Amino acid sequence: MLKKIIIFGVIIILVIVGYNYVYQDHRNIENEKAEFSLKSSEIATKFLENSTEAEKLFLNKTIEISGTISEINSNDLTIDDKVFCQFLNDMKETIEVNSKVKVKGRVIGYDDLLEQVKLDQCAIIK
Amino acid sequence: MKKITFVALLLISLNAIGQSKYLTKTGSLDFEASVPSFEEVAAKNSSVTAIINTDNGEFAALALVKAFRFKNALMEEHFNENYVESDTYPKAIFKGKVGNFSFDSLSEKDSYSHIDGSLTFHGVTKDLKGIPLTVKMLDDKIILSGNFKVMVSDFEIEIPKIVANKLSDEVSVDFNFELVKK
Repeated sequence: MLKKIIIFGVIIILVIVGYNYVYQDHRNIENEKAEFSLKSSEIATKFLENSTEAEKLFLNKTIEISGTISEINSNDLTIDDKVFCQFLNDMKETIEVNSKVKVKGRVIGYDDLLEQVKLDQCAIIK
Repeated sequence: MKKITFVALLLISLNAIGQSKYLTKTGSLDFEASVPSFEEVAAKNSSVTAIINTDNGEFAALALVKAFRFKNALMEEHFNENYVESDTYPKAIFKGKVGNFSFDSLSEKDSYSHIDGSLTFHGVTKDLKGIPLTVKMLDDKIILSGNFKVMVSDFEIEIPKIVANKLSDEVSVDFNFELVKK
């Protein structure tokens, strides 16, 4: 009897572990600690000089970027025309063009067409 | 020195007048490779950059592969690491030209055209001809939308046998770009 209960218990645990593995949550960038903290011009220069090296270093990493806002839309903003930050939802904060900002987000890559670094799942830190 | 600066500025301004570009940084690209009765294989990218030159209809779009978001986080991880290898090939680029593009004839009504070009993805460049395109102009935005199909095997993406029957080789791609003047 005890043996059956143990086997049953193990099966249940395996199912739960398996389910949690297959249906794991997405990364929560907002709660992750940033691996790098740079100015918009610093990261832009790195990508401009050698995009392959910069991709190796930054791709898929959570970073913080500071600078001056050059463009704002409902769920994205651009810092110094060099770093584009997209938010998951519309921004709640009231921010203005030309104000200083620090944003945390995930690096998704370099946009050659506009020569901008792109970040998604961003959050405004200050 | 002053003369050179003047000539340089003149050239830049002439260049600016000669080219009118409309662009977006938040275009959307959805793809689906589902097989009926298996789990949905679909993802959405809503940070695609797209630019059109309204003088001649030349068009370019760039999608960052890491920005494709799946419902299932594990599927997203496998997509990036095992299938499209987004660390090595982080970009998908389309360059082409809209057929018979005429900026002046755009209106709020849908007009139908096509686009020819080439798509570079996973290190492979493939020509795509005659992609049907719906074009309209609404609130000073040029809206381009359409759908095309590509084959996974055309881009040298290897699908392991174990999942091959859960994943369609034919991938349906929807795009929608709302371009504003720059």
